[in-house]
Amino acid sequence: MNILTMLWRNLWGGSRTLLFPARPKVTKGYRGLVRFDPALCTGCAICRFRCTARAIEFKAAKGEFTWSYDPGQCTFCGRCVEGCKTHALSQDSQCPPVYLTIGALKNSYTVARKPAPKPAAAAPPAAAAPTSIPAQEARNEPA
Amino acid sequence: MNLTTALARLLIFPGLLFAVPAAWFFLWVERKSVALMQGRIGPPFMQPFYDFIKLLGKSTPPRSGVGGLLMMMWPLLAVSAAAGAVGMLPVLPSSGGFEGDLILLLALLELPSMCVIAAGFSSRSIFGEIGSAREAALSVSYNVVFLLAIVSIAASQHTFRLEALAHLPASPLHWLGVLAILVCLPAKLHINPFSLPNAEQEIYSGPMVEYAGPELAMWELSHGLEWVAATGLVATLAAPHFAAWWLAAMVFVALSFVVVLLLSATAAATARLQIDTTVRFYWQCTLIFAVLAISSALFMRFKS
Repeated sequence: MNILTMLWRNLWGGSRTLLFPARPKVTKGYRGLVRFDPALCTGCAICRFRCTARAIEFKAAKGEFTWSYDPGQCTFCGRCVEGCKTHALSQDSQCPPVYLTIGALKNSYTVARKPAPKPAAAAPPAAAAPTSIPAQEARNEPA
Repeated sequence: MNLTTALARLLIFPGLLFAVPAAWFFLWVERKSVALMQGRIGPPFMQPFYDFIKLLGKSTPPRSGVGGLLMMMWPLLAVSAAAGAVGMLPVLPSSGGFEGDLILLLALLELPSMCVIAAGFSSRSIFGEIGSAREAALSVSYNVVFLLAIVSIAASQHTFRLEALAHLPASPLHWLGVLAILVCLPAKLHINPFSLPNAEQEIYSGPMVEYAGPELAMWELSHGLEWVAATGLVATLAAPHFAAWWLAAMVFVALSFVVVLLLSATAAATARLQIDTTVRFYWQCTLIFAVLAISSALFMRFKS
């Protein structure tokens, strides 16, 4: 009889599913669509290297590069965002929208390469500084 | 019954014009009520109709080694039989002429089940064959009760005329028969707990596994018409007699609706049983219904 009580309660208790276009609430730290900020990107292509789903494509050309992203192939693992040193990539904290045509969410950016920063002039060695540093110590120093 | 009335019954009410929309409506009621009882929203009102139209627009993929004409014939035969069974239900008061009888109605009600069995074996799919074998075993089990329940009502009244059976005065035997038919309906309509011939998760819908496109649409329609015929049979046996045709029609629809809700609640409350459990249930438990019905029928016959 418990099942009948449960059915009766369900019948009048409203549904737990949602009718489109209502979407369920997402949890904290939800990984949605990958967003790209061309201003911050240096074109290192590490995101393409880390993307095992091949959702990110990167084409380098002379003086510019093209970065494209296909959410249809994305597994939303977040490895690209995690590996982006310049924080040019981020992830939405909402469900991806429903789309009806193939490639509707696909986007592509052609970004001009920024001129490489000139290396800073080497500082003259301080007179009081030690003349030799052990190799192990030098590697562990922060950049 | 003149020709116009006969045609109106077969083509309009309770025939095709009523039966086809009613089939989609009952399929929707079943899906929607089960969804609500499970805490889901369920499909929109027009979904069974949309499903039918969508399937009609799809093409059937080529099936090597399978007789295409044979495969196409089974769903068409099932639809015709189920539609004929609905058209024969004695809902409206008649005025003589051909009305069909109980034997014809039972044959038409049983034909879709036979078509399902034949379709599964014709498909040459292992899942289809398993489904057909299950359907055959199930059919043999529940039909003993189903047929004996109906025939005992008829035998007690010395008639196989549907019109006379529909207007029987209420008696314990009558209600026993209706109850026995109700117990058989989940198996006849392949719903839980007796949905094992078309178990989606185990054998991929069994006999329907090789069907697609318009042929599958016909199977869906046939299934809906079976719902109308089976629930309509219970409704005609349970409904009181009304002289006004519109009142009789309304009571028929309302009672059919109640039976659909009852069966949906049963389906939502139960899980699929195994074939041996199902067969044992029908042979050991519900045979009691039939024995009681036959003995009551004999008693009433000797008494009268």
